[in-house]
Amino acid sequence: MGRSAVTRADPGAGAWQRLSPVALVFLIVRALQKFIRENLVVFLGAGASVAFVERLGMRELLLGASALFLIIVVTTAIYHRRFRFRVEEDAVRVRRGVLEHKELRIRFSRVQNVQLGEPVYFRPFGLVQFSLETPGAAEREVELPGIPRRLAEEIRDRIVGARAAVGADNEVADELAADEAGRMEQGADAVTPVLLHAPGVGRLFVHGLSSNQVWVVAGVVVYALDLVFRQTADSLAMTQLVAWLETQFSAGWSAVLPLLAGVLAALLAAGGAAALLRFHPYRLHDYGQRLVGSGGVLERREQTLRRDKLTGVVLQQSPVGRLLGCWVLAGLQTRSDGRGNEVSQRSFLVPGLRAADRLLVGRLYPGAVVPAAFEPIHIRYRSWWLGRGFLVVAGVLGALLVTLGREHAAILPLTVLLVLLPPLVWLRWRQWGWWLDRTVIWVRRGLFGQRLEAFELARVQQVQLRSSPYLRRHGLVTLVLVLPQGLVQLPFMAEERAAALANQALFAAETALRHRV
Amino acid sequence: MTASAPEGTFTNPAVAAEMLPDFRAVALVPVVQAYAPYAVVAAVLGWLAPLGAALLAWSAAAAGLLPAALGVLAPFVLGGLLLIAAINGVFAALDARRRAWALREHDLIYRSGVLWRRSVIVPFARIQHVETVSGPLERRFGLTRLKCYTAGGAGGDLTVAGLDRETARRVRQFLLERIRDGDDDRPAAVSSSHGAQRGDEG
Repeated sequence: MGRSAVTRADPGAGAWQRLSPVALVFLIVRALQKFIRENLVVFLGAGASVAFVERLGMRELLLGASALFLIIVVTTAIYHRRFRFRVEEDAVRVRRGVLEHKELRIRFSRVQNVQLGEPVYFRPFGLVQFSLETPGAAEREVELPGIPRRLAEEIRDRIVGARAAVGADNEVADELAADEAGRMEQGADAVTPVLLHAPGVGRLFVHGLSSNQVWVVAGVVVYALDLVFRQTADSLAMTQLVAWLETQFSAGWSAVLPLLAGVLAALLAAGGAAALLRFHPYRLHDYGQRLVGSGGVLERREQTLRRDKLTGVVLQQSPVGRLLGCWVLAGLQTRSDGRGNEVSQRSFLVPGLRAADRLLVGRLYPGAVVPAAFEPIHIRYRSWWLGRGFLVVAGVLGALLVTLGREHAAILPLTVLLVLLPPLVWLRWRQWGWWLDRTVIWVRRGLFGQRLEAFELARVQQVQLRSSPYLRRHGLVTLVLVLPQGLVQLPFMAEERAAALANQALFAAETALRHRV
Repeated sequence: MTASAPEGTFTNPAVAAEMLPDFRAVALVPVVQAYAPYAVVAAVLGWLAPLGAALLAWSAAAAGLLPAALGVLAPFVLGGLLLIAAINGVFAALDARRRAWALREHDLIYRSGVLWRRSVIVPFARIQHVETVSGPLERRFGLTRLKCYTAGGAGGDLTVAGLDRETARRVRQFLLERIRDGDDDRPAAVSSSHGAQRGDEG
């Protein structure tokens, strides 16, 4: 697997290359993970696994599992054996597939981000997992698991500094793109990196505490425990555990509260530790045309984002994050499924920000400053949701009371919801807001947590004004801005305001230099 | 709109919001007359299969092939289905009267909806590709739909229904020319697969 394949002396004629044998381990691990993730939910969700284990013996189950495992290993091995890739002058070409053969050619100028991952077991071999994304794809489009680090780094550098390597046509394109981002650096490598953000262990731990993932994991754990409990309910150990728990509970709140607090603390600590494992030691560097985030204890990850392909940013705070004063920043890019503005584990995340670190937005997205105040949406938002909410909840509650009597389990939560509705609606309304700062528009929403999204008005792909009979009666509309990363809605806007903003967005989009995604 | 930037010299002076061209000031063109009957037929046609099934069940019950209880129920089901089909037809007719569109110098405007109304404005500079589609029923009425795709996923396409064949063709041609003009400014920032699609249409 020589470097000669990608040197300039041999342009466009790089030989087809294969993945390293170690990559097979990675592929199998991932295939298993994927299988479990996709199918466990089905099994658990249907409660089928319980019925399954009861009907079948343990031996049959193990036999079936090993057969499945074998099938997965064999298919993955075939995939691995057939996988070929080739690095060309201005593109990377991949051939892959087991039953259906697929050949992809991705032009470097189309790539919007690159990721290098280094799982623990790749390290002794000097291998990395290389992946890239283009605007057309919903998933990572090209993944090269298990290629030498130097080769991966060379491809990465060619992608981010594509101008140097490609023909005249693309030079124009890239120069224009650079203009738009307000950056005119000559070549990516000539720039000395600027360290933008380096959160310490404490900040990353706090990030883990405030990430919503803890609660998702807790839910799964509780569900799994429930299943285990059902399976082993009559075993001796379980009987003893139940007896112990019963004595604890019979002792009253004084014994239960520490227990609950202990469980909660363990969960939170697990969340914090998971964030540390994933991000530590996190560094965000600015290389001019590209932004690079790196970190990770077990799997070292390096995400490279092309600045001119950044279509917006999100500043987000979960409810716990709000208590702890912890923000997370995410860079948004074009996604073909229109869900690019959802912040997920795959996004370009900058973790562990304090309120003061929000200034970073301006470094990531030139011209963006977190506004001090937001313009609220119309107050009718509250009356509409209160009216409809009351009608629905009170209706269900009334029906339950009439038909089932006062003992029904849903009565209490519904009554609580009825009482809490006004403050909830008020909180939600208060979070909604927008602010136009010259060319950048900010949209805020949330309930207990909050989320601030910023993008250039000129990036708008489409403007929609939607209205229902209620909205029209009160001279209101919902303004929808379609962006490369997805939709952004502003509900209950006064029609005049919405129309003015729509006109401004259209003007910005129509007078900007053309930038297709 | 006169503010299109000359090539290469991009300036961006501040513009007062009230000076901007207002999309609401544009007189929209209603969709062609033939669209209303087409929409009504299309809305009612979907209910023909269940209506037919109900009729069949009724006659089968009358002939003693099915339990008599079904024969008693069938007229009500039939009546209900007819009512729903009629309401759908009326809504389709009203909707057809609301649908309108317009081309400005730099964008395409389309308005639709009866109760839940929607106006969509798509700048030409953001359209990725354009296609015209017509089903068998639309062809009978001489209608063609125009689909414009922009980035932004599922929310990123606009379908202009209710154009006659000739208008749809002309608008498509116009839009493709505008897109091509844009491409002259900035060539080839499109992947090979998208390039192929665009080539097909051009």
